[in-house]
Amino acid sequence: MSDRKISILYIDDEEHNLQSFKASFRKQYDITTTISVVEAEEIMEKQEFHVILADQRMPGMTGVQFFEKIRSKFPESIRILITGHTDISAAIDAINKGEVFRFIDKPWDYTYVENAITHAYDIFKTRAELKQRNQDLQKAYEELDKFVYSASHDLRAPLMSVLGIVNLALMEEDVQSQNEYLDLIKQSVKKLDTFIINIIDYYKNARGVQSIAEINFQQLVNDVTEAIKFLPEFERINVITNISQTGVFYSDTMKLRIIFNNLITNAVKFQDTTKENPFIKLTINATPEHTKITFEDNGLGIKKNDVEKIFKMFYRAGATNSGSGIGLYIVHEAITKLEGTINVTSTLGEGSIFQIDIPSVNK
Amino acid sequence: MTNQFDFILIDDSAFDLFIYEKLIFKSGIGNSVKAFNAAQDALDFLVEEGENLPKTVILLDLQMPGMNGFEFIEQFDLLPESLKNKTRIYMLSSTIDTRDIEKAKASLHIIDLLSKPLEIGLLKSILQE
Repeated sequence: MSDRKISILYIDDEEHNLQSFKASFRKQYDITTTISVVEAEEIMEKQEFHVILADQRMPGMTGVQFFEKIRSKFPESIRILITGHTDISAAIDAINKGEVFRFIDKPWDYTYVENAITHAYDIFKTRAELKQRNQDLQKAYEELDKFVYSASHDLRAPLMSVLGIVNLALMEEDVQSQNEYLDLIKQSVKKLDTFIINIIDYYKNARGVQSIAEINFQQLVNDVTEAIKFLPEFERINVITNISQTGVFYSDTMKLRIIFNNLITNAVKFQDTTKENPFIKLTINATPEHTKITFEDNGLGIKKNDVEKIFKMFYRAGATNSGSGIGLYIVHEAITKLEGTINVTSTLGEGSIFQIDIPSVNK
Repeated sequence: MTNQFDFILIDDSAFDLFIYEKLIFKSGIGNSVKAFNAAQDALDFLVEEGENLPKTVILLDLQMPGMNGFEFIEQFDLLPESLKNKTRIYMLSSTIDTRDIEKAKASLHIIDLLSKPLEIGLLKSILQE
């Protein structure tokens, strides 16, 4: 609550009530006052209030009528009625029609008012949090739905390919060509395995516990390149590293590994085989505060239309030989979680540059 | 005697294109096969061929990057009637999503939704009818 003052709109046709309220509470609350219900509505159009206080007896419109009027349009604000007379029918109306949260008796007592406002704000805050959480859940649910839809396809597709190849192989009498089919099955199974590994990475990144540690970038790059050496295309590409690290940089090892693994693998997979010297140039500049990382390659490059979409889940640019559409999504998620940024510049046929900036995670 | 057909295959998976092509020729129902790994390319091909297009059977994958199967159908719908009348489209997919299945059934242009892997015997009997 300390981050922002509670904002209050107080409507009363008697100016001196407004004045004395302001005098008592102006230090702790952000107070707006007006003597007119018409003006009150105009003010509410422009600014959101946590709590609305209204006097019951006003000329033209009572406090309850005012609340009844604004309730559906401004449902978030918590309503408190101030009344000088304990009038039971007004109280019933206030609850049933105006849905007020509290009554305050005139002349009001400082502590009582303070309490009412504090509780009103608690309700406001809880409702806002609930709303936010519902939105988050809705978003998570939609993502899950999309995830299941795409993942089930991507899990089944390679299996169906394998079945298709098996069907074909069964029709084949020439034993020689069976090997060709076996090789296709192998490729399809590998594709499926890569997809499953990606899903596991995604899960680790999204739900996994952070493992903050000192990062040795040279070591990290060595580990990652060691792990992808088996890729058939790896031999052809020249990996150039230029690492300068001063001091100790703390970050999440798992996430950095995911980022490096995906970006290096992509450069390897999408290298331009027609070029004489396919390369990936990795430049790292690490200080204790933050690290700048650049992945530059002279690979196939990315189409202009695709550049902004490559970080979307299951977006696959290009049709042939493309991946699962998860890799760069995970990279983006991981960088966002590390509170870093990633920028891409790419020219089709020339190559791509990924620039990453990550702040140090304070242990 | 087995009738033979001209085929257009649209699938982002190079494996699947390879498999279909082999199956089609081996089963003896294929006169010619044109394979596309992007739906847009297939659409461009149809437009380009225009009147020269022979009667063609199109096997269309659903989930593809770029233009997917349903998006292809939307674009296909805009082609001239004379061109559309020359084609028979079968959707071929591994989908088990009921929304996809409903949508495929509801489409005027999709004659049937066949599940992957392609059962060539089934396709043969459908086409011979």
